[in-house]
Amino acid sequence: MSNRIRKSYPLFLLLMIVMGLGYAVNLGQLEPAEFTFNNGAEIKTVDPALATGAPEGRIINGLFEGLLRNLPSTDKAEANGTVPMRPATQGMAESYSVSEDGTVYTFHIRQNVLWSNGDPFTAHDMEWSWMRMLHPETASEYVYQLYYVKGADRYNKGELNTGDRVEIELANRANAQQLFPRGTIRRGVFSKIGYWNPDTKIITDTAPESGISWTKVFFVDVFPEKNGQVRWDATPRAMAYVMHNASKGNLPEMIEGRPVETCHHVLVDFKSSVGILAIDDQTFRVQLKSRTTYFPDLVAFYPLYPVHRPTIEKYGSPGWTKPGNLVCNGPFLLQFRRIRDRLRMIKNARYWNAKQVELNSIDALSVQSETTSLNMYVNGQIDWSTTVPNMVIPDLRKRDDFKSAPMLTTYFYRFNVNRKPLDQVRVRRALNMAIDKKKIVEQVTKAGNVPARSFVPPGIDNYNSARGDIFDVSKARQLLAEAGFPGGRNFPAIRILFNTSDMHKDIAQVIQQDWKEHLGVNVQLENYEWRTFLATLSQKDYEVARSGWIGDYPDPNTFLDMFVTDGANNQTNWSNARYDELIEQAKFEPDYQKRLGLLTEAEQILMDEQPIIPIYFYVSKNLVQPHILGFSSNVQDVHPLHILKIDNQQFSTRDQ
Amino acid sequence: MLRILVTRLGWMVLTFWVVYTLTFMLMHAVPGGPFDSERRVSEEIKRNLEAKYNLDKPWIEQYLLMLEGIVLRGDFGPSIRLSDYSVNEVIAQGFPVSAALGIFAMVFALSLGLSAGVLSAMFRGSLLDLSFRVLATLGIAVPNFVLASVAVILFSFVLQWFPSAGWGSLKQIVLPALCLGAPFAGYIARLTRTGMLEVLGQDYIRTAYAKGLSTRQVVLKHALRGAMLPVVSYLGPATAAILTGSLVLEKIFALPGMGSHFVEAALQRDYPMAMGMVMVYTGLLFVMNTLVDISYGIIDPRVDME
Repeated sequence: MSNRIRKSYPLFLLLMIVMGLGYAVNLGQLEPAEFTFNNGAEIKTVDPALATGAPEGRIINGLFEGLLRNLPSTDKAEANGTVPMRPATQGMAESYSVSEDGTVYTFHIRQNVLWSNGDPFTAHDMEWSWMRMLHPETASEYVYQLYYVKGADRYNKGELNTGDRVEIELANRANAQQLFPRGTIRRGVFSKIGYWNPDTKIITDTAPESGISWTKVFFVDVFPEKNGQVRWDATPRAMAYVMHNASKGNLPEMIEGRPVETCHHVLVDFKSSVGILAIDDQTFRVQLKSRTTYFPDLVAFYPLYPVHRPTIEKYGSPGWTKPGNLVCNGPFLLQFRRIRDRLRMIKNARYWNAKQVELNSIDALSVQSETTSLNMYVNGQIDWSTTVPNMVIPDLRKRDDFKSAPMLTTYFYRFNVNRKPLDQVRVRRALNMAIDKKKIVEQVTKAGNVPARSFVPPGIDNYNSARGDIFDVSKARQLLAEAGFPGGRNFPAIRILFNTSDMHKDIAQVIQQDWKEHLGVNVQLENYEWRTFLATLSQKDYEVARSGWIGDYPDPNTFLDMFVTDGANNQTNWSNARYDELIEQAKFEPDYQKRLGLLTEAEQILMDEQPIIPIYFYVSKNLVQPHILGFSSNVQDVHPLHILKIDNQQFSTRDQ
Repeated sequence: MLRILVTRLGWMVLTFWVVYTLTFMLMHAVPGGPFDSERRVSEEIKRNLEAKYNLDKPWIEQYLLMLEGIVLRGDFGPSIRLSDYSVNEVIAQGFPVSAALGIFAMVFALSLGLSAGVLSAMFRGSLLDLSFRVLATLGIAVPNFVLASVAVILFSFVLQWFPSAGWGSLKQIVLPALCLGAPFAGYIARLTRTGMLEVLGQDYIRTAYAKGLSTRQVVLKHALRGAMLPVVSYLGPATAAILTGSLVLEKIFALPGMGSHFVEAALQRDYPMAMGMVMVYTGLLFVMNTLVDISYGIIDPRVDME
């Protein structure tokens, strides 16, 4: 080893240090935004169709705009401190009409509204955006919000019936990895599905048993097209289609006398089967399966916001979401993103209502720790913290800048009603009656939560929640004795499952103690890491499990339809025919009040049978600097950024 | 020297493959998947999602597909949870943050640790020595999240010198780097002190003094080099510990580094992201250890690189 290398070694170290310093100094160029808030988590995506969750919603509501906009409906707060949010014609549509039977919505798009690149915004953008959301390859999680539209679920799930008009996307995409632009579309009438066995070269109508490889073949009669119009009266051509990636073994050129082509998808024909149609540039018509009174709420919910077709076709997904590529139609533009640090939005001068937007730049930080977020708020680094640590809430509640109000969110426990002895209603009711929920909200959560007697939280207009049992120890003991466990004797060992969190643990401990003290029932507590917890829950390997539910839209249905028999989110094994019937009836009930009555009746069944224990309703926990105006609480805890204003006078006095 | 590097490279490839395989198996053995959520999606929607990320394919096919992407294209694939980004983009953004934080913490630990250690050894038994040793013990014993809380209260709320969290300026690096570097400064101070005391008693130091050299020259030129050896060998594991030790601090100070991605990827079952993180850390540790081994040979003429 020569001396020269040895001597240069400290220099090398020095170089590393200088490089690090240089990088760090280079960082200090960022001007703070006019308004900075903590969004709580790094967002999954800015793509409306793919996003779920509240942090995503805050950003997408800033960048995009739907046909309607959820806005505060009055200036005055209600008694509980909330200002109701209503879908207003303050979005892309300037008005809309509903047919008498409530199933056809006609939206009239505003004249001269533009995308951020200057393209005009038309009804065709809406049609294409919703088609994209429904396309199975888009894999949208919130796609069921569109299932109220005629034919939408069939398109999304790829369901086919003989005689259906179908669209076939041939396997000739310019870029096979990219969904849009799509390959050539052929349209025809679906006849049947066959299963081709490459070994025996035989095609059968039913899928062969496992162990045999086979290829699914779609038999379609394809109709010719002329000038972009399908000529449904012409003579069709009999074709056979196979998936582009499914061809196992050599496919023949012909099957049953039909030429074989490869394709990406065979779906019901969007144009003729799904009730989504742009009549002209300014008119957009939606045909629903049945009356859905809260459809405007869904339209004003961010997953149904439109996206810009040329951008997506040019860059593909997720390339189109990159700052610089992204073209949007909302009040703000995406300037830059730093992963898990911040996302900067700046005012969109082309927004139709730009003169009403006062903020010029917004930073959304993704600070996960509630304590850190509080520190940054106290230091003046952020103007709005969307949540705070529970333990400081008793102190914060005395302050004016702490905005807390009831939310459409319920904290509850699920029972697995297949596990003995939880199969007995009496046992479930006894366990519920023995929990002192008031103690939980006053001594554990301390956030001003409301003890829950029903599953649907208060705050939905005109809805009367059902009434469940209240805390009543003697009644609980009596019920448990009737069920065969006097004083908790012979009560089998059961567990309470919760995902790892101090608060869930504290609540579970209170409940454990209540059950032991009042009923003589011993339960074990088990905490699981979040995803493991979810997996255990969905395998129904539990007796009692903690849960929470946030309402998607202000209607009791968002809570109640989860507990229909075998519902994806039921997870309790509970099933009640009358309940299912009421929920189904409510869907088709044209009279709004009557409909709510049916839902109350259903909720009462849920409360009487008690497959769940509602524990309390959440409250929002926002800290907002006093110089921010236009911030109001609501049950959905949704706060549009474009209506916020800065009180400059107050802001400058604060700095002095 | 070259031969050593080549052998090392061979081992590295093998290590990568073993780590890849183990990670893949562990990831898929853990219950729960990336699309589980409290708001469960229907089976059809879940199938669409799984098809999008190749998760509907048999395990062995997924294993080969992912391996192929990494080996042939250096591409870990799209992140499932941060779906606007590929894993490579996330690493490209997160790595400089962690690296900058790590370099600052290391510089702080080295400069403070070395000087404190040398001074302690030279004024052995004095009040100075005692206070340095107490400080070193504190630095090692106090967990960095406690240190971070104290630092935030002191420097951010009482003195108002530094912001309490965030990333974007030199000021915002100082507190996390101090907290991250503190325990390593403590260790380095101890190692230096011990090494120094040992070296100072050796014959060649006496010879140096006998030549008439000043204390400064003896300490800096002759003694320090010998005393540095244990410190250098500690640097490899220390670098690893600094890189992985920043997980908690990144959360407290809201830093967009690799640590938070690593933890989140595991919690959210973001398979490609978790794989990317594990592989980057593996590579990093391997490179750091190799560098330390090489430096060892450079600093200590007695070490034979063959």
